[in-house]
Amino acid sequence: MKGGIEEFLKTEKFEGYYEELIVELEKLNSKLHIFSNINKGLSTGLPFSVKDNICVKDVVSTASSQMLNGYTPPFNATAIERLPKEEFGFIGKTKMDEFGFGTFGINCKDHPLNPFDDRYVTGGSSAGSAVATAVLKHHISIAESTGGSISCPAAFCGIIGFTPTYGLVSRYGLIDYASSLDKIGVMGRSSADIRYVFDKIKGSDRYDTTCVDHPISKESRKKLVIIDQLMAGVDEEIASSFDRTIGKLQNIGYYVEHKSIPFIEKTIPAYYIASMAEASTNLAKFTGFKYGLKINDFSKGYNDFFTEARNNFGLEAKRRIVLGTFVRSSSVKSKYYEKALRLRHMMINALGVILKDGFIISPTMPIKTPTVKEAEDFDPVKEYSIDSITVPPNFAGLPHISFPSDYIKGMPVGTQIVANHFNDYALLDFVERWESQFEYRFKYNVGAL
Amino acid sequence: MKIGLEVHVALPTETKLFCSCSTNADEPNTSICPVCLGFPGSKPMLNDAALKSALTVAKALHCKINDNTYFLRKVYFYPDLPKSYQITQLDGAIGHGGYVDISKKRIRIRRVQLEEDPAKIIREDEYSLLDFNRSGIPLNEIVTEPDIETEEELREFVNELRSILYYAGVDINKEMKTDLNISLGEERVEIKNVTGIKNLVDAERFEVKRQGELISRNQKIPKETRAYNSETLSTISSREKESDEEYGFIYEPDLASYPTGDIVIPEVVIASDVARQLSSKYGLNEATVKELVMFDRHALGLVQYGLKRSNANRVINAIELLKRHGNITISDESFGKMLSYLDKGLLLNEDAIKSLQENRQVEIEKNTVSTKEIDKAILGIVAQRQDLVREYKTNSKAFNFIVGMLLKKYKVNPKYISERLAEVLKDKA
Repeated sequence: MKGGIEEFLKTEKFEGYYEELIVELEKLNSKLHIFSNINKGLSTGLPFSVKDNICVKDVVSTASSQMLNGYTPPFNATAIERLPKEEFGFIGKTKMDEFGFGTFGINCKDHPLNPFDDRYVTGGSSAGSAVATAVLKHHISIAESTGGSISCPAAFCGIIGFTPTYGLVSRYGLIDYASSLDKIGVMGRSSADIRYVFDKIKGSDRYDTTCVDHPISKESRKKLVIIDQLMAGVDEEIASSFDRTIGKLQNIGYYVEHKSIPFIEKTIPAYYIASMAEASTNLAKFTGFKYGLKINDFSKGYNDFFTEARNNFGLEAKRRIVLGTFVRSSSVKSKYYEKALRLRHMMINALGVILKDGFIISPTMPIKTPTVKEAEDFDPVKEYSIDSITVPPNFAGLPHISFPSDYIKGMPVGTQIVANHFNDYALLDFVERWESQFEYRFKYNVGAL
Repeated sequence: MKIGLEVHVALPTETKLFCSCSTNADEPNTSICPVCLGFPGSKPMLNDAALKSALTVAKALHCKINDNTYFLRKVYFYPDLPKSYQITQLDGAIGHGGYVDISKKRIRIRRVQLEEDPAKIIREDEYSLLDFNRSGIPLNEIVTEPDIETEEELREFVNELRSILYYAGVDINKEMKTDLNISLGEERVEIKNVTGIKNLVDAERFEVKRQGELISRNQKIPKETRAYNSETLSTISSREKESDEEYGFIYEPDLASYPTGDIVIPEVVIASDVARQLSSKYGLNEATVKELVMFDRHALGLVQYGLKRSNANRVINAIELLKRHGNITISDESFGKMLSYLDKGLLLNEDAIKSLQENRQVEIEKNTVSTKEIDKAILGIVAQRQDLVREYKTNSKAFNFIVGMLLKKYKVNPKYISERLAEVLKDKA
């Protein structure tokens, strides 16, 4: 193991370290809106941050939603519980698109801004986690992806985002978006740091029955597969940057093959149907009287009471609740929800065949980082379509990493690499090889020793 | 008439269905945790004991057991439901396609499923209180086909089902909640949440009358949900349109699918079957045997043990006696001893029966009385108290007085005394 974490943990002179770091971080936070809260009392360990939909005991955890205002879970998420206290110190909760609903990181109050240029979005939904990683010298963030919420902001903020195989990291303590798709993952500045943390948090958990102890392999692949349909809508500059990246990879011994999966284009609608169906049930519990936002007027009937409470969801959350409730209603269920599940199985099988002897590679995002203004003008369907490349591995529960591969006019560009289920270590090995001949750029190095 | 039932019973587990909270708590809201309160971030974990218990019930009801069982979310908004969805089952239920035999027919069981109980609502005048101790208690829902056609069949089915549940280890003294589907005409009327057996029969009786009157007046019976009021003994419309019931079921993604193949499911005794077989083999009255064994596994054990060893009627009398003295839990060995005394024409008095449990030989010996001695005593009293003998035909008190005198002295089975006395008096008459 090499890199930031090991280096940091060996250092013993921390006098004044945290005070200075916190002052600097608060200054940056007022500019880039990274954290919803900062732990000012931090005094030991490597500072790590946590996406706001992952529970930290006795710390307000809201998933950036008004509905959860003041919700203070009485327990730690398993992933947090497993980080050794003597090595890691909790620095704060990071902002996100409300409940994870968003591609740009702008679906919340005072949303985060891009650390390379604050006119640009961070990507979402793990927006604050990506920014925190991009500004702190030695940092890892515990984040979460449902359909691309780790890859996308990692790409736009120039850091590494690792989404493990579904079921390798316990979801206990995660405020659910779509339980069959949600994966807790790690954002960091090097593959070594991510590996170090992943090894601490993975493994079965009696509190999450969908989490397993499965051997994780490191079967390296020399073949990199490009799926043609995924390249169809890619921006020209991104496409030529991707060609350069492929060139560099060929120089270090990889070769490329093209494959076609015609129905992969159906992944976006199928994913949104399945995820919204689950989300609309996961969000049903927010009714305004047990935790989070509380309505104190008990004079109404319970239906009116619930309606008033649930009016506090943001626009995108309301949209997904309504659509999700529709697609699982009995008259259309077979047309939408059940069909989406069938397509998911087809997708798992089709991708599995390719991943037997290769990795799938692509740009992480089909577009260059948009400005906040541009992102605000996207209509929902167009915004959903931007997830076309990050959704397939997420929908199939496959491990994937977005790593910085280029810089266009000073803004980072990410490349996404996908491996077969439980071949997570091979992905980290791949990125480590990439790092041996590519230098990541960071604009801030808060907390550098 | 067609009646179908959805019966809900709590399963006998120490902890709740999806968390480790105790199922036994008196003080409201003391047996609760993030899981059964539905706190954001919490996840359910399946209680293996509940799964095994539900499988036991399903097998006892002759269901086909699904190789893999899985759960669904049933979504609706109500204050007692912490997650606003109930984790329940349908297609992937524990078992399906079973049956319960009653005397003249077979009632088919459509499905046996496992689900979580919501919290308990305590309604006060101006407000309601919620007790989440009940939230997450494991329930078995047993769904029948609409095969029940008379009130008698309803009673018999419920009795039979309760007996099977008893032998499957379910605490049948806990509240049993039933949804009663009943249709005399075309449309199905559902009476939700009927508590207990008496209410179930009363609700059925009221509906039969109500629907019958509508039919005789040529009126349509609307498809609807009704509620039973145990004070007025009537059902009232819940004013919910049946078509509005939209639960938006989806697969429960927080739980896995559970293979059932490796779980050893205990065989459950069908007490009424055993009673029937024994009665015909030993020439006993079936109803008497059923009465003894349907809800008493100790009695059933003693019946089976005793019939192989002694006179059938004597065995039944002995068990009735033990039941009366609250001593039914004695061992087979002690019961065998009791039968051997009876076989020798010795009756056991109260103290002897109590001593059986601890098998205190001397105590037992001391407290047995021979039937000869009792016969002699009967003859003695009859000779002495001609006044009572004259009266006994018109005054039952006279007869009971004599029995009482003898009982006081011998403390033995009153059945023997009264039978013998009746015989003696009959001869005298």
